[in-house]
Amino acid sequence: MPVYVDISRCIGCRSCEVACKRVHGGKGHVNVHMAGDRASVPIFCHHCEEATCTMACFSGALYKDGERTAFAVEKCTGCGLCRLACPFGVVWTDKLAHKCDLCQGRETPTCVVTCPANALSTDFEAASKRARTRAALVAAYGGRV
Amino acid sequence: MPKVLVPTVCPYCAAGCGFFIAVEKERATGIEYMPAHPASEGALCSKGNAALEVLYHEDRLIHPLKRKGDSWTRISWEEALDLVARGIHGAMKERGPDVVGFLSSSKCTNEENYLIQKLARSLGSANIDNCARLCHAPSVVGLNRTLGAAGMTNPIADLANSKCIFVIGSNLAENHPVISRWIHKAKDAGAVVIVADPRLTHTSWMADVLLQLKPGTDVALLNGMAHVIIKEGLQDDLYISKCTSGYEALAEDLKDYTPEKVSEITGVPAGEIIRAARSFAISPASAVVYSMGITQHTTGTDNVQAVANLALICGHVGRPGTGVLPLRGQNNVQGACDMGALAEFYPGYRRADDPETIRFFSRAWNSTGLPAGRGLTATEMICAAASGEVKAMYIVGEDPANSDPSSNFTRDALENLDFLVVQDIFMTATAQLADVVLPAAAWAEKEGTYTSTERRVQWSHKAIEPPGDARSDLDIVCNLAQRLGLDFSYAGAADVLAEINSLVPAYGGITRERLGDFGLVWPCPTAEHPGTPILHSQGFKLKDGRASLGPVKYRPAAEDASWEYPLVLTTGRVTVHHNAGSMTRRSPSLIEREPDLFVEINMADAAKLRIADGDEVTITTPRGETTANARLTDSVKRGVVFMPFHFPGTNILTADVTDPEARIPEFKVSACRIARRN
Amino acid sequence: MIKVDKNLCLGCFSCSNVCPNQNIVREETEDKRSIHWKKCKEECDLCVEFCPGKALSLVPFDPACEEPTLTFDLVACKICGARYATEPMLRRIEASLPRELQKDSTGLAWIWVCPVCRRKIEAERATKQMVLGRSRANP
Repeated sequence: MPVYVDISRCIGCRSCEVACKRVHGGKGHVNVHMAGDRASVPIFCHHCEEATCTMACFSGALYKDGERTAFAVEKCTGCGLCRLACPFGVVWTDKLAHKCDLCQGRETPTCVVTCPANALSTDFEAASKRARTRAALVAAYGGRV
Repeated sequence: MPKVLVPTVCPYCAAGCGFFIAVEKERATGIEYMPAHPASEGALCSKGNAALEVLYHEDRLIHPLKRKGDSWTRISWEEALDLVARGIHGAMKERGPDVVGFLSSSKCTNEENYLIQKLARSLGSANIDNCARLCHAPSVVGLNRTLGAAGMTNPIADLANSKCIFVIGSNLAENHPVISRWIHKAKDAGAVVIVADPRLTHTSWMADVLLQLKPGTDVALLNGMAHVIIKEGLQDDLYISKCTSGYEALAEDLKDYTPEKVSEITGVPAGEIIRAARSFAISPASAVVYSMGITQHTTGTDNVQAVANLALICGHVGRPGTGVLPLRGQNNVQGACDMGALAEFYPGYRRADDPETIRFFSRAWNSTGLPAGRGLTATEMICAAASGEVKAMYIVGEDPANSDPSSNFTRDALENLDFLVVQDIFMTATAQLADVVLPAAAWAEKEGTYTSTERRVQWSHKAIEPPGDARSDLDIVCNLAQRLGLDFSYAGAADVLAEINSLVPAYGGITRERLGDFGLVWPCPTAEHPGTPILHSQGFKLKDGRASLGPVKYRPAAEDASWEYPLVLTTGRVTVHHNAGSMTRRSPSLIEREPDLFVEINMADAAKLRIADGDEVTITTPRGETTANARLTDSVKRGVVFMPFHFPGTNILTADVTDPEARIPEFKVSACRIARRN
Repeated sequence: MIKVDKNLCLGCFSCSNVCPNQNIVREETEDKRSIHWKKCKEECDLCVEFCPGKALSLVPFDPACEEPTLTFDLVACKICGARYATEPMLRRIEASLPRELQKDSTGLAWIWVCPVCRRKIEAERATKQMVLGRSRANP
């Protein structure tokens, strides 16, 4: 159950960034990027179906667990290959590797709960339906009531 | 020992988000979210997420301190309280009670604010105020006059029911991030969002209609929109005739504000003004949200009245999805005002210049010699300190040396005092100037109520003990009052709240026992009353139950660009910092994200001044100069520059000219010049 | 004692991380990293087991043998120029991934771009439509 971003809702408040770092003992896995003065987006692990980080990991520390790209810290040797194998730059090696774990042990990932603007969600269907409805309303009313 | 989750209210902005502090072995070890909270639904912004970082900060004040030349000596509470009592008493004995000024804190609880103003007034000093003076004093004056109540008319969550949300002078996406949640919900249901701001802010990303006006031209814009509405016959005639007074004079006055003329003043295209006006008027439920972009002007009260006029002529008051929504800044600035920590109001907004008020509180407090008439406001106290009319000040949890305009002048004024006591959690710039510094408990180390911007009164529980010798403001004030011969024997915050219940009608039913998980919304006059989330649905608390419409004339800001100072400086906030920054600048995960003071300059202006992105520049106004890193952008128009005021440099530049009624300084418009430092 | 095959070593620090006795010393500067294998008499072969390049082997202790040191130049990011990895590591990743995953939709060989720039590229890609739309609506 990866986390989806609705970029039209992101307000660049960096809440996910701060919260992620806090719950992971000072090692955050989200970076909020500003696109000039017009938009922002949090960049974090996509939990790719064909996860290149798991392909590069020789020790089996990174592996697919259903939709989730999971990480078993006890198998990690800190070689750093996963960091280089991630096309999005969202696996870090800091002696050992660390990446988004979808907040294992919590009901919902912290970034999703804390997001003030509801930009992050774990329910892709609901989020995309919401975005489609909104776009249709804008098209119908043209930004007018 | 097991982990305990203690419910608390976020100490930063006034959205009033709740969260749990996880406490293990008497230490606050983590934050857990509160998904059932009515305003935040569990969300927290970056500041809220970092809130615990200040609690164990090494800079916390843990002992009372006495100035000794240029350094500090640690003293006992006995000695500290004696010194303070002697200082205040001495000044009063010599020159009368009005030579002492009291600044209460909009970061403190309602109970503490109530006691601080009671202390000041019981000692005979009318000079009690809080930093609402610097943010929403015009809302208090303007909304009391037009709507009969000073507060957000509708709850935060009610924004989701709105069909048109007009945000003017508020960068809520950065400053009250949780509120954007509700705006997005409204947008999901097809609402139109209009944003008026001199800058392209994160809030403007939500806008369907964007009005990038020149700083200080809000009255013109609002009048222009009202003009269009009346000219096109979009006003709500039934509502106007049933619920308001003064419409004819207003309509007559608005005739001058044609879109073309307004466009010339504001720099907003006439077509956009018309588009915004139509959207706002024809929607079935429109809300207008504003903050300090409206209030921090010499025309602040006018701006607020123009906002109220616009909502009233369209009948957008008193129903779900409508309303006039001032977003307050500090977590308890609404409560500090409700509790009468204001120069012109006693608790419950009873006018200080009304003899009945004095009679009422003399009886209630069993006190003789309560001061009649309004006292000096926060800004006036500083001027009086400079001129020597105020000799001593007791400042609780405020940092005027950073937060007041023209800070060089403010510092000199504070240094000019014979005696200054500062009570705070950190050694702020103001505390540096004090004779005695008293270490206070932070929010998580004490209990009491806070009133959020939506008038929600919430109980915040004590999670941990204060560090070292620090004590809660409530304890300190009570101890001090007793030393000054007053009977302040309260068992705790609940005891004070009971007194508030009996004296402030709107808080009559907000008793400790009834403050469950998410509090109650005032007015809540009786023990059975459910609270009033939406104000003015049954008329107004003004003459004949009608709201008062009144014409407001556009007046230009006190300063404009000139040959010597060709740029207009406007100030504001960034998402990871809060107000004067004494907490957020000490919070590692916030300061690392915005470590230095910067100034946003339009690309074209910067090119002319040969300034590149990241250059260190000097910004100069007649008040002084400061240095900052240049940030080149298109988000401000040519001729306008922007600086956040969380860092000590910014308010060196701002002007201390104030609104004639609300006495708020014009933080939002200062003429300046900028040069690259070599 | 550890023997190193310098043609197989990736320069990844895995061995140094797993060594329980701090016998494998690492050093990294802005543009170089080096690994130094001290002579050890341990029977332990953790580093051998956890070498992704299979470059290490356990050999009998030989006092005459010199302690090996390998130094790697770090590769500069094609975009920002920051040095971010050893070439053998990047080559290894190139070899371990299916061909179609080595480039992104813009044809960029992302392996030769540092993680910081990869995040920026991803952010730009993700926000492109949003920025365009907002700029068009409110120029």
